[in-house]
Amino acid sequence: MNLNNIYELRWKVLPPLAGVAMIGMAALALVTAPTEVIEGDVQRLLYVHLPSALASYFAFSVTAVCSILFLLKRDFKWDSAAQGAAVVGLIFTLLTLITGSLWGKPIWGVYWQWDPRITTTLILFLIFSAYLIARKSSSLDSDKSARFCSIYAIIGFLDIPLIHMSVRWWRTLHPQPIIAKLNPALPDEMLLVTLFSVLAVILVAAWFITLGVETELLSQRLLKLRAIAKINISEKS
Amino acid sequence: MSEIGFLFAGFAVFWAGMFTYLVILQVKIRNLQSQIDLLENIIENHDEV
Repeated sequence: MNLNNIYELRWKVLPPLAGVAMIGMAALALVTAPTEVIEGDVQRLLYVHLPSALASYFAFSVTAVCSILFLLKRDFKWDSAAQGAAVVGLIFTLLTLITGSLWGKPIWGVYWQWDPRITTTLILFLIFSAYLIARKSSSLDSDKSARFCSIYAIIGFLDIPLIHMSVRWWRTLHPQPIIAKLNPALPDEMLLVTLFSVLAVILVAAWFITLGVETELLSQRLLKLRAIAKINISEKS
Repeated sequence: MSEIGFLFAGFAVFWAGMFTYLVILQVKIRNLQSQIDLLENIIENHDEV
């Protein structure tokens, strides 16, 4: 896997694809999708809430895989990739919590409930916030810090299966899985719009991850150049 | 707030969040790139001297 090839996607392929998909998603979610009989129009928040959650899982999966690759290869580009993806994961987790809260108020009567799925999602947000704080507060080229944070990210990732299973294991306000099963419990029209929305938001997340990784790699390059410049100046003096 | 109000707020937060993050990333990449170019020039000039 060559990271340089992935960066080529950042302006040529992903932006037009993601842009068109997002416009399509907005049109499908707000106009085409049928109105749900019990919840009414506010149920259309499903088309941003669920894709945001899945996009955050996708981003944190990239973080976990890159952390494993860093531990195996000790190449800092994988550490940078893990950090870039973790920021994207946090953004989408936050969007999941906010859109869920705005959906919960008219349906459950409250913005926040210590429901197992909401609580484990909040824990996911806190786990990866701590990961980024720990990684950013130490030197970017510190091997010890990068190793520690990689192991932490891999363990933190285990919260995602817990979020998924929380609706099966505990009593919760969230419904049982409606899509991730053999016979999805959504009408076909709603199911198609949901799947399209997931695809669109995952494309955006993939684009953001490539940009996030680029930012982290540039930060590392800048650090190296500063070190070279410092050596040059000290040699001269 | 009405049902439509919550729906509007949800979509607005979603789109605004993504646009804001995209702008922040672009600005950050541009700043980093300009700092790198500057340092590379300084190092190059120093080597020539």
